[in-house]
Amino acid sequence: MDGAARILRRYTGASILIAVFLLIVNYIILGTFVFKGMNEGSPPIHVTQAVAEGLHKNGSHYTLEPNAQEWLQKSQAWAMLIGNDGKVIWDYAIPNELPRTYSLAEVAQLSRNYLQDYPVFVWEHELGLVVVGYPKDSLAKYQFHFPISWISDLPYRLLALLFGNILLAALLSLFIGSRLIRAIRPLISEIHALSEDQHTHVEAKGMFSGIARSINHASSLLQKKNALLKARDEARSNWIAGISHDIRTPLSMVLGYASELEESDAVPYEQQQKASIIRKQGEKLRSLVSDLNLVSMLEYEMQPIHTKPIRLSTLARQIVTDFLNNDLAETFTIELDVTTEQCFVMGDEKLLVRAITNLIQNSIVHNPSGCHIHVQTALSPNQRNALLIITDNGKGIEPSMLPDLVELPYSSKRKSPLQNGHGLGLPMVARIAAAHHGHLLLTSDTGKGMTAELCFPLSS
Amino acid sequence: MEEWKQKKVLIVEDELEIRNMIDGFLRKEGFSRIFHAGSCKEALEICASDKPDIAILDVMLPDGDGFGLLTSIRRFSQIPVIFLSARGEDEDRLLGLGLGADDYIVKPFLPRELVLRLLVILRRVYAPPQIDRLPVFQLGDSTIDLEAAIVTRDHHEYALTAKEHALLRKLYENRGRIVTSDALCQSVWGDDYYGYENTLMVHMRRIREKIEPCPSTPEFLLTVRGLGYKLLVKEEL
Repeated sequence: MDGAARILRRYTGASILIAVFLLIVNYIILGTFVFKGMNEGSPPIHVTQAVAEGLHKNGSHYTLEPNAQEWLQKSQAWAMLIGNDGKVIWDYAIPNELPRTYSLAEVAQLSRNYLQDYPVFVWEHELGLVVVGYPKDSLAKYQFHFPISWISDLPYRLLALLFGNILLAALLSLFIGSRLIRAIRPLISEIHALSEDQHTHVEAKGMFSGIARSINHASSLLQKKNALLKARDEARSNWIAGISHDIRTPLSMVLGYASELEESDAVPYEQQQKASIIRKQGEKLRSLVSDLNLVSMLEYEMQPIHTKPIRLSTLARQIVTDFLNNDLAETFTIELDVTTEQCFVMGDEKLLVRAITNLIQNSIVHNPSGCHIHVQTALSPNQRNALLIITDNGKGIEPSMLPDLVELPYSSKRKSPLQNGHGLGLPMVARIAAAHHGHLLLTSDTGKGMTAELCFPLSS
Repeated sequence: MEEWKQKKVLIVEDELEIRNMIDGFLRKEGFSRIFHAGSCKEALEICASDKPDIAILDVMLPDGDGFGLLTSIRRFSQIPVIFLSARGEDEDRLLGLGLGADDYIVKPFLPRELVLRLLVILRRVYAPPQIDRLPVFQLGDSTIDLEAAIVTRDHHEYALTAKEHALLRKLYENRGRIVTSDALCQSVWGDDYYGYENTLMVHMRRIREKIEPCPSTPEFLLTVRGLGYKLLVKEEL
């Protein structure tokens, strides 16, 4: 929605700018045009003045200064000097049809308008009135009369005109823009919906009907694909859940009878040992089956997560204590280092316990000759994330192998095949972290141990 | 212990082999009155005619599910019920326990575990009402009577405060194992225990003064750095 408003704002602004620009350009062009026309050649009044000032009487003889004469020639104008008695006492290139004597009324007439269709201009001279005439139909003479109040209001009028123009431009652009927006708005909301993966349908009409149809098509295509993907993920997840389920019943019998044989006194010791191996392998299968199910649900985002605020230090203490209480082999030492108690994350306790336990278990499984495990809870340097860092001083792994560890076994992203274990442990941790909007960071090198860092957003 | 094994056990399970396996384990443990049912219908008939004392229910049955069966049974009987299912998802377990089952075991299971859980439930449900007495135990030269909240050492009697008593009880219940300071605080101060760590240390010192011959070098109540405490009980009365 704000997309439409932004477009309208931009559009209106641009239109007003264009209108104002055009207005100014027009003013300038008009101005230069008019004034240039007014001043083209030499303005008649200047020529007249020059003639009046350049006309001198020497005895009974009149001389006109050469530059004034040149101007007259250039304008193809004529000139005369009307004496105070109404008679023409000097003239220059005066047309023959003009009278040589003028009455007061005629002078008044010609000073304002034309003399027999010749546009004429007058200037006073010490000996009378200088009249300069231009060729017929060469100049238009207008006289304007304005009330003083009108003239003094002129700046305001011009300003009002300017503002009126701007306002009109704004209103027009707003009107046209809003019509445009009304047509575009459904398209915009549709596109927004597309980006958020929701389904909407826009009426295909008006000037954007083609686009609307395309968007509708894209939307329904996306919906179909999503539905297909979801169905496939669900089928896959259900398939794995089904297999896990079907394995459980036969496994119950394997585990049940194997442990019976293992505990039975009637069975020779050697066979008891074999039964014990069967039971242990069965238990491995059991953990594989349940891990497989959890991993597949996490992978396809079908694990419902029941979150609550959890204090990371409490969780870590509990897990480390459980390892110590459950007869951790003596070759392993485990140490907890809580740098802050104020580290809360929103999380699913069961899943978090699983992730942390998996990481510690990982250090134990991959270092059969023993190692020191250091568990640390801390805040990230920028104070925004909670960190849980598990470090061991075991044999470590080549850095190039690290990316493989968080990929599911047999996935195409995995470069090298499985080394040992069922390989679901670390991928599961990575997916649990992702399900909590966090991540798992592994660092290691051969002979330098392994560091696993779980990073979660802090709960406020 | 043996009187529990005279109780009537109903196994509802559609897989004959699993049913026989459980039957075998129960008989080996000494149970003799065992009833089998392969469907909800059979199970309800047996419940009506033989009145079993405890039932082990599978969730997936040919003519319905165990949850529905439990609901039907609950209409006329309050017998304890254990679910035994291949469905181990949280929702299933919560649904089962929410319907009033006493336990929920996910397949595959160890038979020993099933029998132990069965016995625990039988004991809890059918035990004659008796007053639970808190234990009395010996720590070196000290005798700790949790019932009376008194420690006796060198002919002296030291009374335990309520908090000390609660802490010692929690430690005794987990004797030989580390109990985290969080768990200890929670058992004494409840869910809002945060911030009581220092108070916990003070209480632990007072407890040591009462039970340890030499409180600064404790022999029985050990601190596990960074984690919690551990009570070592060598001999019991």
